Amino acid sequence: MLEVRGVSFAYDGTEAVRACTASFAATRLVAITGPNGSGKSTLLKLIARVLTPRTGEIVFEGRALSEWQAKEYARRVGYLPQDPDPAFPMRAIDVVVSGRAPFLGRFQWESAADYEEAERALALCDAAAFADRYLDEMSGGERKRVFLARVLAGHPKLILLDEPLTALDLSHVQQFSALLRDIVDRTGMTVLYATHDLNFAAAYCDRMLVMREGSLALDAPPSEVMRPEVVRELFGFEARSVEGWLVPRV
Amino acid sequence: MAGAMALLTVILLIALLMATALGSVAVSWRAALGGDATARAVLFDIRLPRALLAALIGAALAAAGVTFQTLLRNPLADPFILGVSGGAACGAAISTALGWARIPGLVPIVAFGGAIAATAAVFVLAQRREYTDPTRLLLSGLVLNALFSAVILIAFALAPESDLTAAVRWMMGTLFGATWGDVALLAVFVAVAMIVLMTIANDVRMFAFGADDAKSRGVDVERVQRIGFAVSSIVTGAAVAVSGIIGFVGLLVPHLIRLIWRRDFRVLLPLSALGGAALLVLADAASRVALPSSELPVGAFTAILGVPFFLSLLRRSR
Repeated sequence: MLEVRGVSFAYDGTEAVRACTASFAATRLVAITGPNGSGKSTLLKLIARVLTPRTGEIVFEGRALSEWQAKEYARRVGYLPQDPDPAFPMRAIDVVVSGRAPFLGRFQWESAADYEEAERALALCDAAAFADRYLDEMSGGERKRVFLARVLAGHPKLILLDEPLTALDLSHVQQFSALLRDIVDRTGMTVLYATHDLNFAAAYCDRMLVMREGSLALDAPPSEVMRPEVVRELFGFEARSVEGWLVPRV
Repeated sequence: MAGAMALLTVILLIALLMATALGSVAVSWRAALGGDATARAVLFDIRLPRALLAALIGAALAAAGVTFQTLLRNPLADPFILGVSGGAACGAAISTALGWARIPGLVPIVAFGGAIAATAAVFVLAQRREYTDPTRLLLSGLVLNALFSAVILIAFALAPESDLTAAVRWMMGTLFGATWGDVALLAVFVAVAMIVLMTIANDVRMFAFGADDAKSRGVDVERVQRIGFAVSSIVTGAAVAVSGIIGFVGLLVPHLIRLIWRRDFRVLLPLSALGGAALLVLADAASRVALPSSELPVGAFTAILGVPFFLSLLRRSR
């Protein structure tokens, strides 16, 4: 469904993503991990069409990204930036229904059907009760669910989430991870998300990508990533394994 | 939306009627329509064009203000943020210093040129490879405005003393001496600007969560930014060239509308234009009649009328 072929990107001379190659099939939950500054966000932005690769190409459903029309691509691929924040107060339902924008014509307004989609997406994220509340009155976990609903409201085939689990407490990380798993299994969507939490990623994902200094250092099932010697080399994390979980070695 | 539009339209019409009825000479619409020559002259040649010009300028500044605030995601942005006012004032001050103020119609043209040149300079300074960076844009505008202030002071120091009063009045903003020609010219600018902004409104509102998010939703971010900034700057430049610098309308009115209706850009734009028009018509009428013998700067009255209203709304909002 999605192929990343030898993609590189640099910000004003600083190389952020180097010759990454990976391919992704449908109905998969994939975690992208790696130390800070390893290129996770940049890779997601490249796939989201927010940035354009310097070299290499990305192919989605058999067509290179450059051949896709912007709105057409936005209808199939949903992207959630890290920690989005509206500049002015907004209600949750208005945030979610704005996810329907790629389906609207130049002068078209959201129809009742679009609001129904938005409400359905909120319900799917267990956030139906927040519809009329303002974002700035919500907790971090509630906001994340609203933003996930916004992405889902467009019924994308591929979802890209940039660190959706940061600033969440453990129970919310678990709830949100389970929610992603559930959405993938129920809808057949593919979800790629960047995260620092190896243990939760390993518990819920089908596959993990580990990035280091812009390159794809490892692309493997969780069982191969969750080894003390692997995380020591790739993350500089001194760990021991306890029943499949990595805990700090003290 | 329809209710809010109707309400603001009625307020604007009442404001226009009040503004034409108020003044140092008591004249009535009934007398003017009945054939009284003096009443006709006062109403049709002086007060009506002036009130309509105030409405157009208010609409232009508020529409530009709400566009800048939305695209830059900054509640402090106003229509002068990109150096438009500084550039226009620079143009006006330099032409005054050169004695061009005595040639009718020249100062506004130079002022308009200054506004456009300043905006273009701010744009070039703020350009990055990916797209225009809002913070750089704001900073470049701020710094260039500071430079313009210095140039204006020097120009005033060198200007012929007899021309200074007119220059100072221009800097304070005035609708004195408005003509039907001014009204027609600005009406064209405002109409075109509103049409263009309405056609990109569906994309402009998507800037609520930043340029990256908008881009991922299929918005041509670079194009929408360029059109939005250019159109807003040009219509502001035209307004400033006609009336001088009138503050507060462009900053205040979008916030007022947002505090009352809290809606997205597609609604905020037309509502702000109507609200800005009504506020400036009322402020100009107040500035004319506040003192029996002289006119006060209209920019001061937009603040005097708008700020208490704004603060009371702000206190009541969350």
